[in-house]
Amino acid sequence: MKQFRPPVILLALLLMLGMKPAGHHPLVLRFQNRVGNQPLRLSEQTYLNQFGEPFSVEQFKYYISDIRVTGEGQIEERLLNESHLVDEGDSSSLVLHLSSGLSGIRTIRFIVGVDSLANLGGVQTGDLDPMLGMFWTWNTGYVYARLQGESDSAKSPAHRFTWDIGGYKGPSNAVRVISLIIPDQNGQQQDSMINIYVNILKWFDGKQPLRIATSPVCHQPGALAMQIADNYSTMFSVGP
Amino acid sequence: MPMKLPVPSGWPAPYYDFKKNPLTLEGFLLGRKLFYDERLSKDSTISCASCHQQFGAFATFEHSLSHGVDNNLTTRNAPALQNLAWQKEYMWDGGINHLDLQPLAPLTATNEMGATIAKVLFQLRRDSAYLRMFREAFGDTVINTQRMNRAFSQFLVMLVSATSKFDRVRQGKDSFLLPEKLGYAIFEQKCSSCHKEPLFTDLTYRNTGLPMDNTLNDYGRMKITGDRKDSLKFKVPSLRNVAITRPYGHDGRFFSLLNIFEHYRKNMIVTPLTDSILQHRLPLSNFEIGQLTAFLNTLTDTSFLKNPLFAPPGYVITPVFIHRH
Repeated sequence: MKQFRPPVILLALLLMLGMKPAGHHPLVLRFQNRVGNQPLRLSEQTYLNQFGEPFSVEQFKYYISDIRVTGEGQIEERLLNESHLVDEGDSSSLVLHLSSGLSGIRTIRFIVGVDSLANLGGVQTGDLDPMLGMFWTWNTGYVYARLQGESDSAKSPAHRFTWDIGGYKGPSNAVRVISLIIPDQNGQQQDSMINIYVNILKWFDGKQPLRIATSPVCHQPGALAMQIADNYSTMFSVGP
Repeated sequence: MPMKLPVPSGWPAPYYDFKKNPLTLEGFLLGRKLFYDERLSKDSTISCASCHQQFGAFATFEHSLSHGVDNNLTTRNAPALQNLAWQKEYMWDGGINHLDLQPLAPLTATNEMGATIAKVLFQLRRDSAYLRMFREAFGDTVINTQRMNRAFSQFLVMLVSATSKFDRVRQGKDSFLLPEKLGYAIFEQKCSSCHKEPLFTDLTYRNTGLPMDNTLNDYGRMKITGDRKDSLKFKVPSLRNVAITRPYGHDGRFFSLLNIFEHYRKNMIVTPLTDSILQHRLPLSNFEIGQLTAFLNTLTDTSFLKNPLFAPPGYVITPVFIHRH
């Protein structure tokens, strides 16, 4: 039997299908999770926070939703409407392939968390599938961000500290809007790739000091979750 | 095949959004199969129906606290499942804001069914009967959390109880005996501001002066809202089928209706957080208790309790459950 050879026209069609609308270019968003200046290594390494508390990280995850950029002339463009779960344990989740029609991108804006409609709308799919465990079944709502690990400073069982942050109702709304300016000197390059550095150390003192020893567990919406969300809202920066 | 929710005459429109999850016979049958499937639990011993038994109005007959896998006890009494499409929030503390999400709590709680969603979905995907039923219900064989739970909801919303003697009397098809009639008048005067018709609950959360059990440490609604004022508030339960949903209370502490009446007229621990209309307890004479009991018995809906549509697949009525744990 003759070997199958795809006709040229079919190849051309496939190429066309992969093409974006005119004027759009790929824009890659990379999340680089770090502890201070060091890259994050799950479970393998013990770090020190600002208070000298040793800790290791087993899980580090957060939802990024509603990503927008502004380009020349302050034109805003929404790149992603849905929620994307960044999970340090899943390297494919650290890179987001988007496309933009703007050039000279100056700022990027997104929320850490999940839109309240998704918190109210029953069972969601994709990255918001409750199966992924970033969800409270007994008190409906998404866990927007999780930092979980071990620390000798934690007096909780097995010295584990677990910070699950969420909440969508009025005074406990833990959604945080992040706006970042993209440094000028990188100019054109930033139109195709934006590196977002995420510094875990900010969880401990981004706005207010938070020691593992005093609050090793946060498992529900409320004042502590709000404070931690305030802290980690400062953990993002655009890097080279 | 499309199905319609039977909305009893005179009832408000249901709250559940059927546009997102249109009722079909296939979805209902799939939900029913899931409801009765013990393989959904960690060790295949417990189904939803283990604690929600049809002959007990989908509460657990004569069990105070629900049982879970590995000899676990929970901290709450399984509530009756009825008229769920008219509710906005679920659980004794209202912690769950959508019916589609409700099954995830007992499914994954380690002291209830102890499963993981991923493992349950894995099992369903390996079962040719489920693959067929998901295709019939949703058009293809994709099985995910959303579809599983929408099927659950299609079964659960159909559990409508509105054919009791009380309902027949209301429609002019039957009449009360004298004690029932006297009891209804007392009920309207003393109970109906919380146990409101037609659901026989106003779906609010109230502190009824229940002293906290120091082994359960259950503060109810406060755990959900974080508000001290919600301490020891629990959802007002529906009184439909109340005669057969004993024991009563969020932790099943009251074994009989008489225990409840004694609580309201004598044993309540009144604090400033106790509901404002119960600040002087609820005085009830022995005569009133007798008539009220007669009236409450008219809320038993035997056609609901024996409806073969709600029985496990292949049964005409729910077999009486043999408790194995």
